[in-house]
Amino acid sequence: MSSLPPVWAEGLIKYFGKQQAVKGVSLSAPEGQIYGVLGPNGAGKTTTLRMMLGIIDPDGGERRLLGESNPRNANNRVGYLPEERGLYPGMKAREAIAFMGALRGLEWAEGRKRAGVMMEEAGLGHATDKKIRQMSKGMAQLVQLLGSIVHKPDLIVLDEPFSGLDPVNQEHLESLIKAEQKRGATILFSTHVMAHAERLCAGLSIIAGGLVRFQGTVDEARGRLPMRGSYTPSQDGSDVAGLLPAGAIHDGRVWRFTVPEGGAETLVQGLLASGHGIAGLTMERPGLHDAFVSIVQQARAEGELAA
Amino acid sequence: MKSLFSYSLIIARRDFLAVVATPAFLLFLLAPLFMIVLAALGGSGASQVAVTSANAARIAVIAAPADVEDIKAADTALRGLTGRFAGPPELEVIVTKADPTKEAEALIISPKTDYYAVMHGPLDKPSIAHRELARNSAAFLSSLANEVMRERKTGTGFGAELSKPTLTAIQRNESSAGGRQMTAYLSVFVVFFLTLLLAGQAVGMLAEEKSNKVIEILAAAVPLEAVFLGKLVGMFGVAVLFVTFWASMAGLAVLAIPGLARLATLAPAVGLPTFIALCALYFTMAYMLLGAVFLGVGGQAGTMREVQMLSLPVTIFMVAMFGMSSAGANSPGSTLATFTQWFPFSSPYAMTARAATDPAVLPHIMALAWQAIWVAITIWVAARLFRVGVLKSGSWKSAFGFGRSAAN
Repeated sequence: MSSLPPVWAEGLIKYFGKQQAVKGVSLSAPEGQIYGVLGPNGAGKTTTLRMMLGIIDPDGGERRLLGESNPRNANNRVGYLPEERGLYPGMKAREAIAFMGALRGLEWAEGRKRAGVMMEEAGLGHATDKKIRQMSKGMAQLVQLLGSIVHKPDLIVLDEPFSGLDPVNQEHLESLIKAEQKRGATILFSTHVMAHAERLCAGLSIIAGGLVRFQGTVDEARGRLPMRGSYTPSQDGSDVAGLLPAGAIHDGRVWRFTVPEGGAETLVQGLLASGHGIAGLTMERPGLHDAFVSIVQQARAEGELAA
Repeated sequence: MKSLFSYSLIIARRDFLAVVATPAFLLFLLAPLFMIVLAALGGSGASQVAVTSANAARIAVIAAPADVEDIKAADTALRGLTGRFAGPPELEVIVTKADPTKEAEALIISPKTDYYAVMHGPLDKPSIAHRELARNSAAFLSSLANEVMRERKTGTGFGAELSKPTLTAIQRNESSAGGRQMTAYLSVFVVFFLTLLLAGQAVGMLAEEKSNKVIEILAAAVPLEAVFLGKLVGMFGVAVLFVTFWASMAGLAVLAIPGLARLATLAPAVGLPTFIALCALYFTMAYMLLGAVFLGVGGQAGTMREVQMLSLPVTIFMVAMFGMSSAGANSPGSTLATFTQWFPFSSPYAMTARAATDPAVLPHIMALAWQAIWVAITIWVAARLFRVGVLKSGSWKSAFGFGRSAAN
């Protein structure tokens, strides 16, 4: 049995004509975890995923999917939801799910049976025999997602799964993803909406300009940026600015500042001793969104991305 | 992991059901009926025109009063020798007027009358004026004059039987060379027509998949060769339904309509059951070959307009294959016939023709194997072209094995 993680890639390169879309991406998604591939539009996320799945071949580098160097050999153990949603409009939902399962080695009859159960659990029991063209976009997307997991794959690859879904369906999709992870599947999904990644991912890679700019956990990504603080004194005064780190901004009521690394305690002690009191004080790490923007902007500033 | 054929069957099943389980399929199935009805209406109208035209046509003799009865009697006698459809137009005898030459010319060129030929002058040296293309009518008038002169010289009577033959009808157990040639041509035409009509359905299939965005799911799950083969097999199933339905109708028509039963005497050289089986197999190969080409061409297209534009050269090429195969069928054993039997895209049609004219069966087994190899090659090439041209995966060199792919 391979000792490599279910998703592993080293130095993937891809050219489309003369343009190099992927410049040496390395990935490693641990087994049984939800792993995010994040990046701005045109970063190379979808191309990377397609190379991993064997839809296209890389022009350089190595890849292993569930230990297989030829991704086709792992076909029956992988589920895939592409970025461009696609179903046969004239097909009934149950048949569509069974068809996608059959493409992954599931018997038709079993696929139909599971499709009925899964649609019922997803709140789509009334639409089992509806044609895809008769369904709303969100419903069709859910059907396609169910089709990608009907055969209970070991690895589920979702490319921008939340795109086009309303908040209710987004929450439903998050529940589905978590349920699949509980079942033991490894889930790899790409997104440029950080909120989902922040809630779901144990690990992530941030791709920008065809390269991996960050690889680690959500907390590690957030830790790249200093804490931000806000302070509302009980009694304002002209010397409050001196108590806060350089660069603090006052918006008339609240002081906002960057907390120096390791300086949180000193700052709090200083504010307590100042006599201005503390009507409000917050210190928190920036969210993944801010970390992502910072990382991408840094890459652009290094000149490796187009402005 | 399933085999290539298993995946192909999954896709074929989906495509087959998607076509036949729709009301539009019934229209497709019955479309030839509309064509037959329209053709019958058109043919009926055309035959009405022909009959009307034939009824208006005339030949004439400007004769002296003394010759009138003899000319009419000779006409009756000569017409008995020709069949109903082979006879000349009705004869009109006009008694001599002042200037028969001028009158004859006037009758031919008049827009109000339809005289094909007019004879005048003495019967031993008549003058016959005729339309440019009415030489047969002129020849009949000449025979008329000759018959009158013969009877006057011999006195044996018009149309007298001087020889009394014994007629014996002999039934052929085998078709003639001409019959086999006719069978060869007809079979080539039918196989080609059905192939072009039905395989053309395949051209838009991949374009449709691309517009549905389903191609990504298919390409991720199964090899592209399975996608192409599956689509071909699915549509072939539809074609088989179509052909089976209409072959059954044609068979019933042959049995039910008097006269059509004579078609059964166009017996091919290999024997009728073997010939029918070979026609079915060659139709299969022709369909797969042309369908694979159409699929490959259609897969490169981004829009339906591009599909139509790209498929036109293919259609023209296949019409050329039909022309060559028909020409080869007319000259069995020639260099052209041999070439068309070997060239993959004309081979199914040419070998169908050969089955009609040559009783040997072994060449057909070899030809079918040869064509099957080319079906596989065509599908493989089409899949490679799709992978490189549309999915942008790999280079043209590596796609066809001339360079190493960078993938591990």
